[in-house]
Amino acid sequence: MTQAVQRQGVLLMWYADFVRTFGNVLFAVSLFLVWGALTLIGVIVEQGQDAALYFQAYPAPLARAIVRLGLDNVYHSPWYVGIVGLILLSLGVCTFKRVIPARLPPLRAVAIDKIPLHAEIEAPGECETLRRKVADFFASRGWQLRERTFGGVEWTFADKHNWARRGVLVAHAGFVIIAAGTTLFWARGFSGETAILTGQTVDVPQTHARIRLDDFAYRITPIMTKSGMVYQPVDYVSHVTVTGRDGVARKMTVRVNHPIDVDGTLYYQASYGFGAQFTVSRNGVRDAPLSQRTFLEGDSFDVPGTTRAVVYERFVPTVDRASGAPAADPRVNDPAVVLGVSDTGASLGEALVPLRTWIDVGGETRVVPRRYVLYSGFQYRYDPGVPLVGIGAFVLLSGLVIAFYFLPARLYVRVDAAGPGRCRIGAAATTVKGYDVFESQFARLMVSLNTEVA
Amino acid sequence: MPLDELLIAVALCAYVLGALALLAYFFVRTPWLRDVGIPLAVLGCIAQFAQLIARFELTHVWPLLNLYGSLSLFAAMSVAIYIYFAFRYRLWFAGGFVLALSAIFLAYGVTWYEGTMPPVPSLQSYWAKIHVPIVVSSYAAFLVAFVFSCIYLVKYYATAGSPALARAAGGAGAPAGSPVLLWLNGLPSLAQLDVIVYRAVAIGLPLISVGIITGAMWAKEAWGAYWQWDPKETAALLSWIIYAGYMHLHTRPNLRGTFTAWVSVIGFVSIVFCYLGVNILISGLHSYKM
Ligand code: HEM
Repeated sequence: MTQAVQRQGVLLMWYADFVRTFGNVLFAVSLFLVWGALTLIGVIVEQGQDAALYFQAYPAPLARAIVRLGLDNVYHSPWYVGIVGLILLSLGVCTFKRVIPARLPPLRAVAIDKIPLHAEIEAPGECETLRRKVADFFASRGWQLRERTFGGVEWTFADKHNWARRGVLVAHAGFVIIAAGTTLFWARGFSGETAILTGQTVDVPQTHARIRLDDFAYRITPIMTKSGMVYQPVDYVSHVTVTGRDGVARKMTVRVNHPIDVDGTLYYQASYGFGAQFTVSRNGVRDAPLSQRTFLEGDSFDVPGTTRAVVYERFVPTVDRASGAPAADPRVNDPAVVLGVSDTGASLGEALVPLRTWIDVGGETRVVPRRYVLYSGFQYRYDPGVPLVGIGAFVLLSGLVIAFYFLPARLYVRVDAAGPGRCRIGAAATTVKGYDVFESQFARLMVSLNTEVA
Repeated sequence: MPLDELLIAVALCAYVLGALALLAYFFVRTPWLRDVGIPLAVLGCIAQFAQLIARFELTHVWPLLNLYGSLSLFAAMSVAIYIYFAFRYRLWFAGGFVLALSAIFLAYGVTWYEGTMPPVPSLQSYWAKIHVPIVVSSYAAFLVAFVFSCIYLVKYYATAGSPALARAAGGAGAPAGSPVLLWLNGLPSLAQLDVIVYRAVAIGLPLISVGIITGAMWAKEAWGAYWQWDPKETAALLSWIIYAGYMHLHTRPNLRGTFTAWVSVIGFVSIVFCYLGVNILISGLHSYKM
């Protein structure tokens, strides 16, 4: 029995500690600091590379740390997800323990001259009349008035932008809604990419949509700038035939900045490239299967009857006739391909082979790059969290605007007799953000009060 | 000289002369220096906006899609926000620093001028017209906050060593006669400077939030995902985190002032990194290559 009570006591203490820590703004800022540091690491350390690349770029201990601690994919590391989780937890605790319970300060008598923002105005007249005039003055300026008597003294309390105390709550709620929206994508969304050759049809695995690339075109404009010729891409456009869930084939056009929507999944123009078809012949006899295939950059094939392999490394749209080297012009003028040849994995070298010329790759085998086929790269994405993120963004912004531009303030005003036929108006002001933010506004208010009432 | 280049030259000259006049005003407080400096700031700012419009009219290409155009808007918005603060809160003394920084950023932008180019496909979007000006305006607000934070810190550290100075600089008590003291006493009090920094950050933080959000919406349209952890967007997030930290620290009376001024300085360093560092040092989706 006593043990159970003791355990309960420990738990309660632990809970109190937890609430005190997680509800503390400084703790929240410390979490921000860690969040910021991890984010900075992600900006500086290139993400998602092969481990070997880090060892090339950084000293070994640093590279090891990057790879072992998951800093090569920091945004999806347990650290990153954990810190955002802690921030949400801290936000939650703070919301329920500090932000929501924070009430308006009670109406009470105060020592006006002890409040840093205070003023005294002397005016002739009857105090009761003056009190009415003062109340009317504040009411006409949008202050919400309440009157109370404490110890026989009549006080006037004036509040402005009281509702704006909830700005913090609104901003915090917005952040939580955004976090919920992004989590929804992790839980229920998907994304992927696919490259489709001109004339080819693919099935998108997650959505079962069928997409045929009817045609892909790009436009590049050469422009003479101050630092030389620049080949500026101006347009990428894919004409596709898409069959969605309803089984109806539709012609659609995909451009950069103009994705298409098929059954709620969006498809984006992401990249393009050049497939290549080769005529492969051995001792003058054409290898039909190899010659019919279309290769994408990076694809390779084994040379029949040998231990050699040929890799189609990349497409060169224009070869500089004078030097025989690839030219900077990315438009197809004088095309070639770069082929690499290796033997049991060891590279034997690479060659620039103009289209419709041939190269001997060994084993009596000739390879002729016959033609190129454009392909278009698409990204697709289904993200059910988008509406939530949008709402969260709106709520967050509203919260920021409320918190920053509407300052809740309270005035404490009393009018006392200050001698025969004279009264003294004492006023003090407090705000939720200290006194300094309200200083000039208070001064102006008091000047107006003086001229209009006194 | 084409009209747009002429206008840039006018703006640069106006900023340099205006900076000199207002810096001199900062030190000697002779009113005519202010009366020369502020109109020069206004002239430079108007010339810059006229230049951006002229460039759009002449080329029909949205002028903010490269570092030249966006730095130009950054300089113009910094001066515009400063002018607003100057008139609203009577802060002429800081103008020299804002104008000098704007002139430096503008001159640096000019070195990136390559002539007219059509935008690459990913930039051909109405989002470019919304997102870029908002983000650049937020940077400008943070520049203004940075200048006032620096003035705050100079005043704080110059006066903290001597209680007499501190009293004078805080506005309490009469200056004891030293010229440094007199000069420091002419600045707003530390508490007032802190409020000015807070007000500038309160313009910048909602703007950078809208900037990140519109950027995400654009990214969704152009690249397929509203958030790709591209170095640019991540660096903007970093700045956002720092300024959100600023706002939270500012809710604590004991941290309001020196500590938050330092956070604002660090925040602006992160803004410069996000704006220029990432463009120049790190490539990513925002380097606008397919
Ligand atoms: C770790 C999570 C967080 C905690 C524990 C936390 C806590 C707090 C607290 C206690 C306040 C009010 C302080 C006071 O008035 O005394 C506050 C203010 C505020 N918070 Fe947070 N917060 C967190 C995250 C965020 C986030 C992510 C945002 C998004 C922008 C945010 C935006 C704001 C704003 C705008 C204010 C008002 C600041 C002002 O009026 O000057 N907070 N926060």
